[in-house]
Amino acid sequence: MTDWTIDSLAGAIRGGKISPVEATEECLARIRRLDPRLRAFITLDAAGALGTAKALEVEATAGRWRGPLHGVPLAFKDLCHVRGLPTSCGTRTPEYFAAEHECTAVGRLTDAGAITLGKLNMTELAMGPFGDNAHHGHVQNPWRPGHVSGGSSSGSGAAVAAGLCLGALGSDTGGSIRLPAACCGIVGMKATYGRVSRAGAMALSWSNDHVGPMASTVRDAALLLQIIAGRDPRDATSSGRAVPDYLAGIDRGVSGLRVTVPENFFFQGVDAEMAAGVREALRTLEGLGARLRESRVPDPQVMNDVCGVISRCEGAAVHTRLYRERPEELHPVVRARLDLGFRIPAHDYLQALRLRARLTRAFIAEVFAGSDVLIAPVIPEPAPPLAHATEGPIAELVQRQSHFSRLTRSFNGLGLPALSVPCGVSRSGLPLALQIVGRPFGEATVLRVGHAYEQSAGWHRRRPPLD
Amino acid sequence: MSEPQSQPAELANLAAAIERAGRDLALAEEPSRFIAALDAGAEEQE
Repeated sequence: MTDWTIDSLAGAIRGGKISPVEATEECLARIRRLDPRLRAFITLDAAGALGTAKALEVEATAGRWRGPLHGVPLAFKDLCHVRGLPTSCGTRTPEYFAAEHECTAVGRLTDAGAITLGKLNMTELAMGPFGDNAHHGHVQNPWRPGHVSGGSSSGSGAAVAAGLCLGALGSDTGGSIRLPAACCGIVGMKATYGRVSRAGAMALSWSNDHVGPMASTVRDAALLLQIIAGRDPRDATSSGRAVPDYLAGIDRGVSGLRVTVPENFFFQGVDAEMAAGVREALRTLEGLGARLRESRVPDPQVMNDVCGVISRCEGAAVHTRLYRERPEELHPVVRARLDLGFRIPAHDYLQALRLRARLTRAFIAEVFAGSDVLIAPVIPEPAPPLAHATEGPIAELVQRQSHFSRLTRSFNGLGLPALSVPCGVSRSGLPLALQIVGRPFGEATVLRVGHAYEQSAGWHRRRPPLD
Repeated sequence: MSEPQSQPAELANLAAAIERAGRDLALAEEPSRFIAALDAGAEEQE
């Protein structure tokens, strides 16, 4: 499965070169072989996946095609409500979350022909950027066991990188799609706030939550986004704005596109190899015709603080019952984060929401008046050892979490589209990554830049040394 | 339940950050203007 992309597998199935059952069996065999050590899955639905694959095979034989993902095996973060499967949200309780209807994004993918392999591991309640989970096992980085996978969509990152599935859904409240994508050497996209429905997915912070695709190439991420984007009556915050064709212009290149490289914040305190990898990628884009401009951007730490207040308060509200009734089930760090949410005054929460509006207007006006995208590192260093996420005093662990997600969080508050793309491998064999940030609803441009870089640099062809 | 030692400090830091940033917030500012900002700043579709 490691040689297929969603795009190529879907084409091969249409061309009769491989069947949905063969593709599914190959994924299941790989999961059985590798997942005992990777811990990417919480629930594997082998029987359900094979049943769907057989039905899709019959339909294909009869010339009936459900959509562009006909027969493509995917898996979903375990906070998406999928009919017939438990949703633990990374907690000890298998059926912690249930929604009236199936997660809209999942439903749109399966309506397009995708096969559900199962539910993917995640940080407890999606609270944490490393991917450790005491209940379901710490997800291992496929590039280097003993190192974090990134989180909170940890299983999604590891499963796609290891070729256990062709693509996955994650969710991103402070970086939870982009961080594991960066750590695991795959592509992850958080689209504009409201571009993808969150209905049927557990809320962590409704003001900052985004559901989005994770895949091995930018084209695959675009393909998945195309299917899940768009208005959903079940999510009042979803945008009614028309969804453009993300694949139509993806090959147009970057000639003449204006790229902001932030002078402040984003490269400060960043590991030298990581910074060098991103700067080398910028030179590649310049060589492809992009016009780079270094400039200061409005201080992202202000938005990080605003997001911190909003996320903690909303998270505490959502998970009050678990926190009050069964606090002993929660990891101490998660409990500490919820605890803080209960102590923040309502006045600060409301001021944070008001500030967010002003900061967003200012950022868009200052950065995108003379620029098409902004490019920065995603993570401050390559995936650290698991002990960095799990060992030490709670106060220090909370601090490390905050540090690791400091380059991604502001874009949740700003609601801007942000794409994580691999841009190299460190001397220790761990992926490097950059994020491409666009103006609101500028996903097509962001994907176009990511695709141009990826095709030129070729990092997407490298695979973790698992076989 | 034990409270991590950093919590009072973190709480105070967040409160101070909000206080600082919000000092000159316009009276007319309200949360819904965030969505309006995204719509107003949206990329033109080609």
